[in-house]
Amino acid sequence: MWRSPQTSTSSRDSERLAKISGSLFKPMFSRHHHLSAAFALTLAVSAIAGRADHTVPSAPAGMVVIPAGNYAPLIRTKDEPPSVPVAAYYLDERAVTNAEFLDFVRAHPKWQRSRVSPLFADVGYLAHWASDAELGPFAPAAAPVVRVSWFAARAYATWTGKRLPTTAEWERTAAAGFTSTNGATEPGFPAYALVWFSKPTPDTLPSVGLGRPNFYGARDLLSLVWEWVDDFNTAMVSGESRGDTGLERTLFCGAGAAGARDLTNYPAFMRAGLRSSLRASYVVPNVGFRCAQSVSP
Amino acid sequence: MKTKFAVVVLALLAVVPGRSLLAGDSAEPSRPTGPSRASALLPAAPATDACCAVAPAAKGAAPCCDELPAAAPLAARSLYQLDAKWTDDAGKAVTLTSLRGQPVVVAMFFASCEYACPVLVSDLQRLRAALPAAVREQTRFVLVSFDVGRDTSAVLAAYRAKFPLDAGWTLLRGAATDVQDLAMLLGVKYKQDARGQFAHSNLITVLNSGGEIAHQHPGLLGDIAEAAKAVVGVAQRAPFIAKER
Repeated sequence: MWRSPQTSTSSRDSERLAKISGSLFKPMFSRHHHLSAAFALTLAVSAIAGRADHTVPSAPAGMVVIPAGNYAPLIRTKDEPPSVPVAAYYLDERAVTNAEFLDFVRAHPKWQRSRVSPLFADVGYLAHWASDAELGPFAPAAAPVVRVSWFAARAYATWTGKRLPTTAEWERTAAAGFTSTNGATEPGFPAYALVWFSKPTPDTLPSVGLGRPNFYGARDLLSLVWEWVDDFNTAMVSGESRGDTGLERTLFCGAGAAGARDLTNYPAFMRAGLRSSLRASYVVPNVGFRCAQSVSP
Repeated sequence: MKTKFAVVVLALLAVVPGRSLLAGDSAEPSRPTGPSRASALLPAAPATDACCAVAPAAKGAAPCCDELPAAAPLAARSLYQLDAKWTDDAGKAVTLTSLRGQPVVVAMFFASCEYACPVLVSDLQRLRAALPAAVREQTRFVLVSFDVGRDTSAVLAAYRAKFPLDAGWTLLRGAATDVQDLAMLLGVKYKQDARGQFAHSNLITVLNSGGEIAHQHPGLLGDIAEAAKAVVGVAQRAPFIAKER
């Protein structure tokens, strides 16, 4: 059977990517575990204070609301505006868990490990699960589901009546600190955001939702797993159509970074770099996802 | 809705010589897999496959075809698993599965593109001209638009007329999520900017008769010899793949 060179290498790329990104972080699990109760109260208070904007309805269960605002892309060309408006949206408070994804594959067997089309998920899809419909010791029910492709993540989101967040939505939420919409100016926050990158991924991921909620109430954005976004494949495309895919190879040399908004935002660079190296069928041991929803007008 | 769609496809296929076998498959929209006898779609099939190049009604008279399953499933990595409904520049409904059985060269573009896309299309024309006549005859060139908002069938028809692009070309538009799916599978990156223009990868993809990626050619104004070789290879291999099923 004819196999394309393009697709036959993708599994290996997935593995290589996993090794690289896996050595970059470890969640701040232990630290946040005992702090989470204290912050639950803080969350409740800040939720009331932060969501006083009566033009935005309250979020559905398990989601937080992010009011309309602006997003300043990390990398843009000179033709692009410094910031783009982002409509109000809801974002899952935490990443989708193994247990939740198990419900999905039970309802849609074509997304089970042994049945999924290799077109939509590489070899290694849900490989840490015990079987098609059994989680097992390496996939705790409350841990974030990982080793899922973009196609699988989007199918799950659609199944729940939601969608994947856009890059702008995800980054805008993650830019918030614990007490303000701009973590970069919050004392200690930039350093906190870097800690994760210094530790390897644990063999078995901890539960979702243990991280301290940020200003909007979203948890674990910077401390558990990397997350798929709907438009990850727009990463590394400039406004110049004549610059073809070769741009992707050069953007992370010095010339590419020169167009960046904030050279100190290392985590954002890492995320942009990761997104540009992903393909939609990739399954990575530390890439999961959470869902979003538009706020109906 | 599905029934209506199937009828449209039937009407479309009826005017394409030698492709009437597809009608049998289209009449069963619930089945995601494609037509069973890809070999029958190939005008240049070698003699060993010739007995399969007959209508399903004559199946019993052609013992060599018995080994073929009634409805061969699509290959594991066939892009034709995308079950989206596209619309061509004549306003007709098209599924990717209907492209099965022939070499396909596909690229993504948008009609109001002033820079890269005209060059990309001219690259495709150059590739097409480089093919041996027999291969060119059976190869379909497909352009799929990113611009779900502006590229209506009428706009695509005008685009076809402007170049001009002959009957060997198919111009498609589709829903935003379907365009995104196809781009993901091809590895094409695109992004709409504030002015409504699209920044995008320039990528020419050769699909084999089963809809699997056989070759990809990145960039503009490059040497298309490798891509042409891939199309010829796919054309030669097509009957073999059909027989394999």
